[in-house]
Amino acid sequence: MPDTSTPLTGGATVRVRGLTWHPHGAATPVLADLDLDVEAGERVLLAGPSGAGKSTLLRALAGLLGASDGGDPDDGQLAGEVLLDGRPATGGGAGLLLQDPLDAVVAATAGRDTAFGPENLALPRPRIAERVAAALAAVSFPYGPARSTAELSGGELQRLALAGALALHPRLLLLDEPTSMLDTATAAKVRDALLASVGERTLVVVDHHLGTWVPVVDRVVVLDRTGAVVASGPPGPVLGRDADSLARDGIWVPGLPAPEALAVPADLVGPCHAPPTGEAALRGRGLGVVRRRRGLRPAPPARVLTGVDVDVRAGALTALTGPSGAGKSTLVAVLAGLLRPSEGDLVPAAGFARGAGPRPWRWSSPELAARVGWVPQHPEHGFVARTAREEVRATPEVLGQGERGRRRADALLELVGLSARADVEPHLLSGGEQRRLVLAAALAAGPALVAADEPTVGQDRGTWAVVAGALRGAAGAGAAVVVASHDEVLVDRASHRLRLEAGRAVAPDAPPDARVVGQGVRP
Amino acid sequence: MSAVTAGSTAETAAGAVAGPARTRLVARCGPLSLLAVSFLSIVASLFVDDWRTGAVALGVQLSLAPFAVSGLRAAALRLLPVCIAALSVAWSTWLLGEGGPQRLEVAVTAALRIVVLVLPGALLVSWIDPSRLGDHLAQRLHLPARAVVAAAAALQRFESLHETWDSLARARRARGLGPGRSPAGRVRFFAGMAFGMLVGALRSAERMAVAMDARGFADCSRRTWAEPAPWTRADSALVAVGALVAAVPVCVTLWLR
Repeated sequence: MPDTSTPLTGGATVRVRGLTWHPHGAATPVLADLDLDVEAGERVLLAGPSGAGKSTLLRALAGLLGASDGGDPDDGQLAGEVLLDGRPATGGGAGLLLQDPLDAVVAATAGRDTAFGPENLALPRPRIAERVAAALAAVSFPYGPARSTAELSGGELQRLALAGALALHPRLLLLDEPTSMLDTATAAKVRDALLASVGERTLVVVDHHLGTWVPVVDRVVVLDRTGAVVASGPPGPVLGRDADSLARDGIWVPGLPAPEALAVPADLVGPCHAPPTGEAALRGRGLGVVRRRRGLRPAPPARVLTGVDVDVRAGALTALTGPSGAGKSTLVAVLAGLLRPSEGDLVPAAGFARGAGPRPWRWSSPELAARVGWVPQHPEHGFVARTAREEVRATPEVLGQGERGRRRADALLELVGLSARADVEPHLLSGGEQRRLVLAAALAAGPALVAADEPTVGQDRGTWAVVAGALRGAAGAGAAVVVASHDEVLVDRASHRLRLEAGRAVAPDAPPDARVVGQGVRP
Repeated sequence: MSAVTAGSTAETAAGAVAGPARTRLVARCGPLSLLAVSFLSIVASLFVDDWRTGAVALGVQLSLAPFAVSGLRAAALRLLPVCIAALSVAWSTWLLGEGGPQRLEVAVTAALRIVVLVLPGALLVSWIDPSRLGDHLAQRLHLPARAVVAAAAALQRFESLHETWDSLARARRARGLGPGRSPAGRVRFFAGMAFGMLVGALRSAERMAVAMDARGFADCSRRTWAEPAPWTRADSALVAVGALVAAVPVCVTLWLR
């Protein structure tokens, strides 16, 4: 029986009038009196600096903002109207794709996950099965519907999330930085799947990587820091006319040269003690990690790293590259002394260990904190304090660095542009802000080794220069800096490179072949 | 099985070949029969009045345990708390008990009662699939759909809890806030970790709620289910076996009387 409950073709018209959203506890509204019209079938790219309210606007279009749509009225104040095809936007009326595909998983198998939307539409069982099969086929999902969602990679999860959105038969598709957590090659595949499935639907996409979307959108809408529309029109003229002012506002305008890393004073980010520049602060030989998986159901152990040789040199920036799932985060955790390698040797130089013993993973917590600064991949799991200021001060405090430590912490908070938000709870900061906060916190005690996992995700041009500058500055001042990153612009700035594939080191210093794919200004 | 989980024709064919013939009874059972058998052991434990009854009941349970064990390591991990509970009950009963030769017997009986009560549930629960549990609770027991969906989604996230714990512990260690060696330091560490887990769980629930509402969960007044929740012959068989096992201490008690 064909599914005729919703027309498959055609896009929704979007009409936003006087939209204002003022979250509780915020000094200024995120969106202020915003007007926006999108024609049926139009494809719009929404651009703006970090924190301009782009994600908030998408949530409003998805009907997820404010009390009228089941949201919590205590979250904030909402004014204005959002109409899809002349009706107020409600949850499920549009397909929404979020930045982190892990957040979108609601079921244990791919089929059940895709079926979630149709179930909520109260469709009869055969129709649900039809829609699930069609949606999974539309995104070229490589496995059957019985595939466990726990076994999917980032790119596969994002394609599954897209299938879940398509199964609603939405006339409006909303994409919130859908590829920012993926490596270049995977991002290109997900983007292809997205574009292939848009069809005649109306599309609104938010992405820091403008370059990859410019060829396929009809219009660019630019928001400024106050959440107001400052430019709107076809991508060529808008980006050509305002390229410099947009770049000053932090937007990654395609065609412009990559920003310079900010020059950061050495005493702000440099190590308190460090081995001689050029010496390997850490020498890893034959490093291997076998991870035992725990959970309700037992699973066989997984090998994530095999026979990796690596030198992390003092005074240098070493970049770890490779596709998602190659073992970069695991290697960063091993080098940071946070994960005991199952095999191989990890030897710290005498000038780095400074009497703390030959095995970094056995150092006591204060010993480790005085030597290593770690920037985790998921910053929300790295917070230890109730406010941003306390967060950065925590480690110098524990190590007894006193007034000097506090001054350095506050200066670092200012460097990463968060001194105005010093009293805000870390979890309430935006994704990009959280990442800068954990970077400042990692550098606060003057570590001789800085191990950063994807430190530039979610940064605009301005904040990118700060993050890159802090890492380069630390290396310049004698620290050994190791960065796992998909960000080609950052990797280009590294003095040493190590590429991982499937847990093994391949061809150090060779240019990553993934660069051929996706010609964006940003990875 | 409907098309949503059956997969391609090739997979269905493979399932038909490798399926029921090889999988064990517990693997073919729905969540409700597994829960029912776990609850039947409550009845059984009520009849464990002396150590002989307890020993026979436990012996029967243990003889069937291999059919419900999916892996030795996992089973050992599950049984560890059961053993600790039984031993602590036995020890406290022995300490508080009256003197005389019966003191040990009473303690052993108390321990056996605990094991007979908990063992079937501890082993069978590992066969319950969160989504199937949701299907059955909503369609067979007609529990409210919204609560069921939320609970099933939360259970499905349960497995990521230990990863969150690891990340939090790593972050604290890297920042100089590790547990340290003093008991006070450990208490502070675990209090901080517990708070961190709570915040993490709330944040993750919030993000998941956004994803669910974006797919129409907030606005659905009535929903359907992609999978049926059938009561199969395997379910009836399991409940029958469970009832027989639970009847063992009852019969032994009557016979000893």
